[in-house]
Amino acid sequence: MPPLPPGVTAQQFSNALREFGSAVGPEWVLSTDEDIRTYRDAFSPFWEEAEEPIPSAAVGPNTVEQVQQVVRIANKYRIPLWAVSTGRNLGYGGAAPLNSGTIVLDLKRMNRVLEVSEENAYALVEPGVSFFDLYRDIQERGLKLMLDLPQPGWGSVMGHALDRGVGQGPYEDRFGAHCGMEVVLPSGEVMRTGMGAVPGAKSWQHNPYGFGPFVDGMFAQSNFGVVTKMGFHLLPEPEALRLVTVTAPRRDDVVPFVNTVGYLKNAGICPASFGIRSPRNDTGYWSASLKFYGPLKVIDAQWEHAQEKFSAIAGVRFQEDALYRFPLSPDAIDGIPNKNVLGIPDLAAFGQGFVRDGRPHGYGHYFFAPIIPMTGEAMLEAQDVFEQAFKQLELPGRGPVGFTGWQRRSLISLISLPVEHDTGKAQKNREAFRGLMRIAGEHGWGVYRAPVVFMPDAMEVYSYNNHALRRFHETVKDALDPNGILAPGKCGIWPRRLREAREARA
Amino acid sequence: MASRREFLQLALAASAVPLAARGVLAAPAGWADESTAPTPLYAVVFDERYPASRAFAGEAKRLGLSTRGIGGDVTRLWFDDLDRRWRQEPAAIAGLTTYGALFCLDVLARDYGMRTRFRADHYLDRAAGRVEHVMAGPAALLRDADTLMRGQAAWGRGLARVVTRHPASPAPATRLTLVARAEHTGEDPAHLVSWVISPWGPPAWAAGGGPESSLVGERAKF
Ligand SMILES: Cc1cc2nc3c(=O)[nH]c(=O)nc-3n(C[C@H](O)[C@H](O)[C@H](O)COP(=O)(O)OP(=O)(O)OC[C@H]3O[C@@H](n4cnc5c(N)ncnc54)[C@H](O)[C@@H]3O)c2cc1C
Repeated sequence: MPPLPPGVTAQQFSNALREFGSAVGPEWVLSTDEDIRTYRDAFSPFWEEAEEPIPSAAVGPNTVEQVQQVVRIANKYRIPLWAVSTGRNLGYGGAAPLNSGTIVLDLKRMNRVLEVSEENAYALVEPGVSFFDLYRDIQERGLKLMLDLPQPGWGSVMGHALDRGVGQGPYEDRFGAHCGMEVVLPSGEVMRTGMGAVPGAKSWQHNPYGFGPFVDGMFAQSNFGVVTKMGFHLLPEPEALRLVTVTAPRRDDVVPFVNTVGYLKNAGICPASFGIRSPRNDTGYWSASLKFYGPLKVIDAQWEHAQEKFSAIAGVRFQEDALYRFPLSPDAIDGIPNKNVLGIPDLAAFGQGFVRDGRPHGYGHYFFAPIIPMTGEAMLEAQDVFEQAFKQLELPGRGPVGFTGWQRRSLISLISLPVEHDTGKAQKNREAFRGLMRIAGEHGWGVYRAPVVFMPDAMEVYSYNNHALRRFHETVKDALDPNGILAPGKCGIWPRRLREAREARA
Repeated sequence: MASRREFLQLALAASAVPLAARGVLAAPAGWADESTAPTPLYAVVFDERYPASRAFAGEAKRLGLSTRGIGGDVTRLWFDDLDRRWRQEPAAIAGLTTYGALFCLDVLARDYGMRTRFRADHYLDRAAGRVEHVMAGPAALLRDADTLMRGQAAWGRGLARVVTRHPASPAPATRLTLVARAEHTGEDPAHLVSWVISPWGPPAWAAGGGPESSLVGERAKF
């Protein structure tokens, strides 16, 4: 039997399910054990433990009106809802809510690509549109547009952006690439943001701001509304892509090395996301993988300029890894190992069979992802701090090996912790995760995103002036969602009636 | 008359090939009513890199089934083939692949109202020349698994005979472990999985649920 929402009787719950069924069709209310299982987080840090959050049901609306009705019914019964677009947020919580008994509002059926403009390079999509879906749409219509993708292609364009996920090209900041939203508020009312607030708007996907306060950010990593439409700017298909690797030999090279990478990014010469690895051995202490997208002549000149800049570092080495010319033939695509950088979604990240620690198969992982400044000094500090932290928390390895250049001026220092199905090991890793978060906070670093079960802990770190930011969020939460029905506790934001739960956790 | 449990144990004990067999044999309700009509399989998926998987495909082909090779990543298979097929109508597939490939197909298939109904983990101990098959699936299928795999030098081939008999209608599930000799291990990895994903029960999400929903490519009004 799936758990009931807290404070809701079995009779109320069954009445609510019936009303949800009238709104969306009874076959789209899923509440059997077998169905509920599909909404568990396959990478749960609490797998099969009492604390693993298990939803009570899932409801699948197909239209905005149905979303409104579901939200109103949830208000009537005070049943919490947890919206997902495709619910494949593996490493950050999957489709599972924070609290057991919550109903998953599964928006996968709303999978319409509403508009794609080649001329102005944008798309307007519903929540359930995956990167695969949008890619197929663009390909079938022969549009000269390119997607900016996370590694797994099965996630949603919208959900990924609402969790402020990371792409791999020049439009890497997926939330930053959005333009205009339609949101169902916790009251059930529909609102459009930016230019979309003008009835009959002609420039909803052309300009993000409209007039007055810019509120879109309030609906990402939050529990203030259910987003039902979202516009995205797309990259016009470039003529070519050049992949290169630059290595610098010594640990001390880090400052000029990262300064140069940062300059190239901030100046728009190499704006795509990049990786910096630190194998800390003779192959070069630092190594950056850079991507140049654009007309061949332009990227040749950019690469030449980049080499000039890096050449100030003695012993720096350059390697050209690949040059792709668009459009690519299907045969050419077949042989390319990392298709994501070409805007082609895939699932290759899962293809190698989850092999881990010499065991036949692992159980997945979850991500600790603090943001540090894009400077050499910050990277060295992060390496030292996390190397110490790894020792202290008895984690294997020496800390972060890779840094992702995401956004101008900042890096993500990505560390993944293995999911364990042995309770003792799982508990140890959870403590290590919380320890890493605490240690990062002590050094002025917060995470850019967090697995759902650690969201409240992540927000604890953002505590300046006695949690002024969280108190602000909660003032907004109480005003918009007085019954606290949307994702209570998500990102550490609790509605008034459940705030005591946080104090109890503390 | 022997109970179901005894019947199964007898059947396993009679097998020549397995070195050992451990059945976790719940007494499934409605045994006598179980339909044994096999699931029509739209495709049999194998990993071209591994001999056991190739043997599995060879036998499936011999049994008249259509096979699809992958090199670990399921993207092309799903994007160019399964997704198109499943948008018309869910259709069962079976395979012998890495766990990663099954993980992806299992998640993707859920959106078309399908679930993994049979799964066997194959743990290869090359040094000992043994393979352990840890199976979970319809009891009627597992009852015959040992017999079907008996006498097969390539265990992948035996597995093909098992999955192709997967019953079409929902059936009570059980578990079974077989340990067998594995002589020609070649390049097989330490762990592979065989599986059947078949339509059953819940509605299909990806195809949309009614007249208002559209398949990809169609433009909806907003
Ligand atoms: C091997 C591997 C590689 C990965 N690589 C990357 C990568 O390169 N980049 C990256 O960013 N991530 C990566 N991830 C993490 C994650 O898998 C992806 O970000 C994934 O695309 C997110 O899932 P989704 O799109 O299904 O989002 P969902 O699960 O649908 O949603 C994500 C979040 O947004 C909220 N949300 C969704 N829809 C709505 C809505 N309509 N209204 C309000 N709130 C909503 C959800 O509550 C949830 O908190 C990786 C994971 C793995 C396991």
